[in-house]
Amino acid sequence: MKPQTGGRKKVDAYWYLLLIPIFAVLSVVEFYPLLYGVYLSLTGPSGGLTSGNYSQLLENRDFWNSVAVSLTYSTMSTAIAIGIGLGLTFLVTQQVRGRSVFEAIFILPLAVAPIAVGIMWGPSAVWDDVQTFSVFILHLPYFQEASVLFYFPVMAGSDAWEWAPLIMLVALSVINSAPKEIYEAARLHGASSWQLFTRVIVPTVLTSPVMQFVLVLRFIDAMRAFEIPLAWSTWVGLTTSIGSPADTLSLYLYKLLFIPSFGFPLSLVSAAAVVLLSVTLVAATVMIRLLGSIGK
Amino acid sequence: MTTQVTHPKEKARPARSRPRKLAGRALLYLVLLLTTLYTIYPIIATALDGMDLNIAALFAGNNIVLIDSIPFPQGIFRFNPTPYLDALTVGAFPARIVNSLLIGGISVGIALLVGIPVSYMLARVDIKGKGAISFVLLALRTVSPFAVVIPLYIFFTRVGLWDTFPGVAMAELLLILTVVVWMVKGFFADIPRQIYDAASLFGASEGQIFRRVALPIVIQGIAITAIFGFILVWNEYLIAVIMTGPLTKPVAVGVFSGLGAINKTPDFVDIEAGATLAFLPAAAVMLAIRKYLAKGFSLATAS
Repeated sequence: MKPQTGGRKKVDAYWYLLLIPIFAVLSVVEFYPLLYGVYLSLTGPSGGLTSGNYSQLLENRDFWNSVAVSLTYSTMSTAIAIGIGLGLTFLVTQQVRGRSVFEAIFILPLAVAPIAVGIMWGPSAVWDDVQTFSVFILHLPYFQEASVLFYFPVMAGSDAWEWAPLIMLVALSVINSAPKEIYEAARLHGASSWQLFTRVIVPTVLTSPVMQFVLVLRFIDAMRAFEIPLAWSTWVGLTTSIGSPADTLSLYLYKLLFIPSFGFPLSLVSAAAVVLLSVTLVAATVMIRLLGSIGK
Repeated sequence: MTTQVTHPKEKARPARSRPRKLAGRALLYLVLLLTTLYTIYPIIATALDGMDLNIAALFAGNNIVLIDSIPFPQGIFRFNPTPYLDALTVGAFPARIVNSLLIGGISVGIALLVGIPVSYMLARVDIKGKGAISFVLLALRTVSPFAVVIPLYIFFTRVGLWDTFPGVAMAELLLILTVVVWMVKGFFADIPRQIYDAASLFGASEGQIFRRVALPIVIQGIAITAIFGFILVWNEYLIAVIMTGPLTKPVAVGVFSGLGAINKTPDFVDIEAGATLAFLPAAAVMLAIRKYLAKGFSLATAS
């Protein structure tokens, strides 16, 4: 981009040597497994090259079910995380006593392991309390915790619970790096703190490349969601059934491989993994674009 | 008009709006309280359940709680530290903590060793292929673990690296390598250009500039990155559950094992005590480096 400054050009070749260690490590943990995965996906049951795994995959209803589950899960959890994260941002930008204490409390979910989110938001920790409270104190009817209409939103919501604080932290960093005059101007025009938030801060935050980068990253991470659905498929007794509404892509592939009755369909799973890989590369391209605009 | 509303906070407001303002404040504190409850209730309920302090029992008469809409008589609210003590003394928990420390330590060590040179390069010079390097690292961060971990699992089983500490630690690089490179790069990029220029003006070689000038400045940032990466590995489940066996099983996997196919009647209390014990150190560390969390989780795009 910039014209090269004098004297730097001639050392360029040496700088590439710094890439050797990371390239060596990546060859083992990334490049080789990826190529091997592609090879496996093209291997038939009796050896020999075939595209049969891909056509088998594309005809597989459980695969498409898990694609739909993952897309729904990812969209829901990202949307809820944006909502809650912006809400948290509003709260910690108000003039309240003990603001930093609240901020510290709000970031606690980030420290929870995803598998522990599945435990902490599971029936025995939270929902049996809520159920008992609503039935015995509020005298409301029972709700079915094993019903998909209940546990699916809970799964996406608890995923959002963990990551909303990240949205808050990124929003705060965007607010701090934007010129202070914007907020002063809004105040001068007599905007209330709620108006300032909804009309100035939210648009500024959501249109910033940093936030968009983080949201894309969050969406992709949610597409790989595994731990919370695994926990819930245990809570509601779906550990051995495939094609359930809790089967995100990762959980579907995991069940295919590790439930013995499916006979370790390695080639099929590799084909699915290659399909996921291509989606990943598209996502990485989008993120590189955003990364470019952050640098400016 | 403009002078009247210069600073709404300081200026005495007309008497009419004071009750409304008070109501607004009250509402704000109420929402804060409810949000706090929403944030920490799952954590607290889990911690309390782990010592038999089941809050549901307080709502139900005769110690009856509803589990899956069915009344159960065993809900109790009585302090019993056994699950925690068991986890810390008789269970496999202490061994799993050692495993987690080893896996995290080796993994972060490798990531720093191979990552820091790249971070430095990306922050320091404009060379060709920078975009390609960024792309590979981002793709590494976004790739579905299954695309990599399954072939890696087969490869590692063949060469005898499965269920060994170096093997698991290498696999965890999938999770932290990009994070480490980007985070450290952010710290290097914060060094003003003039410092480098001054150093080379005094005749320092590139190697000396890195070792004597840049590295000491970012050493604190590297420590923070190491801690952050360690917690990511500590909390990671999917790679660990596939790449570890009986010898190297870490805390996150240990907390949830005993569920599913192995044990039909999972002991929730033990799982909850384990989840709490695994959470506490992570929370303490995360709070200690909270200023840098946005940087870590956003691949240093946010500061």
